[in-house]
Amino acid sequence: MLIFSVFKTLTDQRVTVELKNDLSITGTLKSVDQFLNIRLDAIEVADQARHPHMMAVKNCFIRGSVVRYVQLPAEHVDTQLLEDATRREAASQAKR
Amino acid sequence: MDTSTGIQEPFDLIRLSLSERVFVKLRGDRELTGILHAYDGHMNLILSDVEETIMLVDGMDGAPSGQGVVNVAKRKMEMLFVRGDGVILVSPPSRT
Amino acid sequence: MDSLIPFTTSGSLVDCVDRKMLVILRDGRKLHGVLRSYDQFANLVLEDTVERIYAGNTFAEKWCGLFLIRGENVVLLGEIDLDQEDDVPLRQVDYKQLDDYYRQDIAAKKQREEAKAKILYEQKGFCKEGGEGDGY
Repeated sequence: MLIFSVFKTLTDQRVTVELKNDLSITGTLKSVDQFLNIRLDAIEVADQARHPHMMAVKNCFIRGSVVRYVQLPAEHVDTQLLEDATRREAASQAKR
Repeated sequence: MDTSTGIQEPFDLIRLSLSERVFVKLRGDRELTGILHAYDGHMNLILSDVEETIMLVDGMDGAPSGQGVVNVAKRKMEMLFVRGDGVILVSPPSRT
Repeated sequence: MDSLIPFTTSGSLVDCVDRKMLVILRDGRKLHGVLRSYDQFANLVLEDTVERIYAGNTFAEKWCGLFLIRGENVVLLGEIDLDQEDDVPLRQVDYKQLDDYYRQDIAAKKQREEAKAKILYEQKGFCKEGGEGDGY
């Protein structure tokens, strides 16, 4: 749930999602769910020439399971907060 | 037993690497180093100051079954979410 | 507990229903059709589906009809902007004309990937992908 929460705090920010098929899409993060499925608006595809099928696509839904990376806007990520939250979640998992 | 520093289960090793530089080997012929800020039970990771190394094989077109030369491409990223299903291993910084 | 959390993203696919969509599958196929239904797994019902293949600055279509696509095979669901679609600088050609070329392309790519995987497996200790292609 931790990572899901992080993504929720980044809605309306520009992110770059890199898929396992090497397709790289930059867009405005519109929504995310607990599977880390992602909705992006106003997308731009890196290396458009290699992906001609994406030319007419403006908005898209990406299935979480096909994501390799998401590049996040560093200025909107509080790393200290992340580490504290991660330790807290790890502690609560250990108690179970 | 001291549970804050002791290692009882695999994830403890990652917990103790929070805010340190780690090496991550990934599926898809990639490796990363970066500072670990968050993880979860799927081994999803959030890293900052990331350097990615991508393995490429050049010179295969001449001889399809023959010897290609392994080259690497490097790329830097400020803040990166890495999906856990692609992780092969996480290695903490050496403590010598 | 987790199942009680609303399916925010899947829920937001509601605005894509009855629109012309592009679906990319894990095997690289590109389907165009009208989205009629979906669920939390991203299982999709696509009507008037065509499969599109691309080569160079041309593309071709093959009629497929009505599909229920199992969610795990879906990579991406994109909304086609109908205005932008008219401006795409690609020429449609006959499917038969492009089919052979497209198959050769796929076969050559597969061969390159296999040769690369073998070398990296032997020299760098990277696993060969499990035959699913594209490392999913």
